[in-house]
Amino acid sequence: MGFLDYYKQFEGMPEEEVNARLREQAAERKRKALSVVDPIDLSITTWPEYPHPTVVNAITYTARRGLHRYLDRSAGELRSELAHRHGLPEERVVVGDGAAQLLSSAAYALMDQPLDELVTPWPSYGLYPVMAHRPRAHAVPVPGYGADAVLSAVNEHTRVVALCSPNDPTGEIVPAAELRRMLEALPERVVVLLDEALADFSDAQPLDAALELLDDFPRLLCFRSFSKAWGLAGLRVGYALGGPDSEPLLEQLAPELGVNELAQAGALEALRSTGHLVERRVERVRGERARLLMELRSRERVVVTPSQANFVWLEAAGIDGAELARRLDRAGVRVASGGSLGDPKRIRAAVHDGAATDRFLRALDGALA
Amino acid sequence: MPRTDPTDNGGLFVGRRPGTAPVKYRALPKRGTRRRQRVDNGASVAILALMVFVCLLFFGPIPVAWLWIASRVQYGLDSVSLAIFVGFFGMLMTLLLGLRVLRRLDLTWILVRRAAGVDQREGVMTRVFAYSAVLAAILFSGWLLLFAGLGPTLAPGQ
Repeated sequence: MGFLDYYKQFEGMPEEEVNARLREQAAERKRKALSVVDPIDLSITTWPEYPHPTVVNAITYTARRGLHRYLDRSAGELRSELAHRHGLPEERVVVGDGAAQLLSSAAYALMDQPLDELVTPWPSYGLYPVMAHRPRAHAVPVPGYGADAVLSAVNEHTRVVALCSPNDPTGEIVPAAELRRMLEALPERVVVLLDEALADFSDAQPLDAALELLDDFPRLLCFRSFSKAWGLAGLRVGYALGGPDSEPLLEQLAPELGVNELAQAGALEALRSTGHLVERRVERVRGERARLLMELRSRERVVVTPSQANFVWLEAAGIDGAELARRLDRAGVRVASGGSLGDPKRIRAAVHDGAATDRFLRALDGALA
Repeated sequence: MPRTDPTDNGGLFVGRRPGTAPVKYRALPKRGTRRRQRVDNGASVAILALMVFVCLLFFGPIPVAWLWIASRVQYGLDSVSLAIFVGFFGMLMTLLLGLRVLRRLDLTWILVRRAAGVDQREGVMTRVFAYSAVLAAILFSGWLLLFAGLGPTLAPGQ
């Protein structure tokens, strides 16, 4: 190092140069932060967005008003709102801690003999076989879906039919006409528990098509949820609707000490002020679902069933569901492997928005390449 | 003047008091041996002395030199105006040149101080100039009172 160079190395950088370097470093950090893409979770069927602030405000207001006392154990206001919405008497509506709790309570109340059986198409919602075990009854999963599959398994021990429409995970529905045919064919002792937690997403028939059967078939109970299209899974609120003379049974389904007051407040506010948002959300899902199904059908290796839910149920030739789910997970797209849902060859992928659909399709193409 | 505006600092708000930031080097300097650092320390003292000397020139020798040159101009060209112009213009230019030299010396002093192992962030030119002015004023007062004398003013006719 030369004499002058030795001293020149002690020259500090001018402020402009320091600031330019800081800007470069900040830009580099920003670029790196933006290049990180968070994984997208399409493995669950709940709504991915936060609840509307109005709902959160209503819950907060209720919490501040005082949680030190029981206010409305029978959820009268919420039941009244639901009854008005569906055009039924308030006595034929019961509110519970989610549709799952009501379904489980219904199975417990209805199956009181050890030989009683609960028939359900399979694959379907994993809770149905479990809720048969609680009253020491038997679950009878029937391969396939629809009225014929169910009727083929009904015998003298059948007490309950649990039917998910749209079905989780296949996305199929039982049209009202087919449901009517099944109800007419079923023996008098059999009660049909129709789980319509995902019914909002269906565009195959009017939302309340099945409810119109309630007056004709008192052995039909319909279950709805605020956990899916309404995006309030954390509140754990669901409700059941019954036909004439179903009031005593519906009373047995309600939680003994009523539904959480905060949950009631949130569900009530959602019904009163966010209905239009849910409609827009549902329309968006229907549009994206149609596009996704069309895209999937255009791929040779993919087999997908028609879906009326907020997800698609598909399999890819030459690769099982677990491996496909693993490959998609490596691409940052999380889906539910079919192994735990009743068909190891398939996967279940939720439908969110256009960006999620595009990303899922890109990941799927990569996984199948 | 150091700035703390985030738009001037890569979007980062500099919470530090202006002017107190550590020196940032392009590459970490390689310091010399302890012997060399001692030599650099001595060199920095010499540069400081040189700066004091240059500053002192501003308060005596340079004005006197240009007064002498102006008198030579007046004598040679028989023009008072031209002599005054030359004297003032020359003195001004010399002072500006001196300040430039002083600034160069100051920057060199900073580098040599850093090479000597001191975390030298600011120069010393302003302080040297101020102290030199005080020193020049003291020297001038001493000269005036002790050597030139105030006699003609205080005791006219002597």
